[in-house]
Amino acid sequence: MDTQAYIQSGIIESYVLGLATAEEAAELQQLCAQYPEIKAAVEAFELELEQQAMNDAIAPDAAVKTALMATLFNEEQQQAIVQPIGTGAPVIPMHPVYPSHHKTWQTIAAAAILLFVVSAGFNIYYYNHYQSARNEYQALLQERNNLQASNDTYKAKFNEAASSLRMMGDTAMHAVKMNGLPGKEGSYATVYWNKQNNDVYLLANNLPQTPAGHQYQLWAIVNGQPVDAGMISDCAGALCKMKTIANAQAFAITLEKEGGSPTPTLTAMLVMGKV
Amino acid sequence: MPEIKTYSEAELIPLLKQREQSAFGYLYDHYSGALNTVVLSIIPDKTLCGDVLQEVFIKIWRQIDSYDESKGRLFTWMLNITRNAAIDMVRSKGYQNTKQNQELTESVYDAGGSALPNVDKIGLRKVVHTLREEYRVLVDLSYFQGFTQEEIAKMLDIPLGTVKTRLRAALIQLRQLVKP
Repeated sequence: MDTQAYIQSGIIESYVLGLATAEEAAELQQLCAQYPEIKAAVEAFELELEQQAMNDAIAPDAAVKTALMATLFNEEQQQAIVQPIGTGAPVIPMHPVYPSHHKTWQTIAAAAILLFVVSAGFNIYYYNHYQSARNEYQALLQERNNLQASNDTYKAKFNEAASSLRMMGDTAMHAVKMNGLPGKEGSYATVYWNKQNNDVYLLANNLPQTPAGHQYQLWAIVNGQPVDAGMISDCAGALCKMKTIANAQAFAITLEKEGGSPTPTLTAMLVMGKV
Repeated sequence: MPEIKTYSEAELIPLLKQREQSAFGYLYDHYSGALNTVVLSIIPDKTLCGDVLQEVFIKIWRQIDSYDESKGRLFTWMLNITRNAAIDMVRSKGYQNTKQNQELTESVYDAGGSALPNVDKIGLRKVVHTLREEYRVLVDLSYFQGFTQEEIAKMLDIPLGTVKTRLRAALIQLRQLVKP
């Protein structure tokens, strides 16, 4: 390569003065690394230009340095405004404008984040409150249902007792007291027999617990013969509706095996009462 | 009196890259005059010129890490930052507005025969001014006004190749004139 022709082409001057294109500059930089004489030529012109500029130096206003140092090195550089230099003319603010904007946004962002965190805290707090209130409400609802149920039970029991009372007040109703037979004196039951419509009710005042697999059976004595009047199922404390019986002279209760027997086991007779 | 230190470029560069404030102070004291001349050769307004110079040194301080010694001298790097900053200012909207106002003022002064600083008498401009017209225009448009060679070719309606050759010839001649 003819380095002298290259050096004298004017490319060195273009490059140093910043007038070369990007490709020209890249090429020159590469050639500088390769040819020391090209690098030396570049440095020579740089020095000439620098020398000329130093000779022509015109000192700037002292205020420029003061403002510059204040902008770059003061702790308050965030707020620093470029000091007016010279007189009167408008000062165009440079860097300080950017940080103050920046700061505003930082403040807004910080406030937004804080608000969000506080709001999230309240959300959790109120959600917990909501949960416990909901649980309490459920418990109350349950309790109310229980009360309603027991109320219904009492109402039913009351109605039953009231109808029993009404029944016993009926003038056609006969109470037949059945006392314990010898050896079973503690036992005692009452039959309420309506002679008009033949309804039979039993009140088991005091009957011993039946052994397993056994049941009490009510008998009516009609014309000297025992007639089945029904099994006494679990209706303790209240009147049990039995089978209808006409023309009975007496009632008795025997202990039979579960389901009852066609004829009474006389040895297992517990109580008996005449009409 | 504080001790006055002098630094060579080789000593100064690592100190600047380490963010030594004292080195930056020296840099300013040593080079601000030369760079101020460069700004003044593009922007005649002394006040605006101070603002640009301040901006230039802020850029130097903040971008010192991007300076690559293998590509040229520190002064050449600073010179190009300065020239670009001044041209950017001239092209900015704010400057264009104030310039319109100023032209009115200047015409008043001219009528009164007052001597405003004339850019043609400052720094490299004064040398460029002595070039012959076809060279002077090219250096003025490219170096002082920042137009690309393509833009100049269009503006002057001459082929791009001619602009390139003529500009290089102009720069070679300029160098002869600059030489001490």
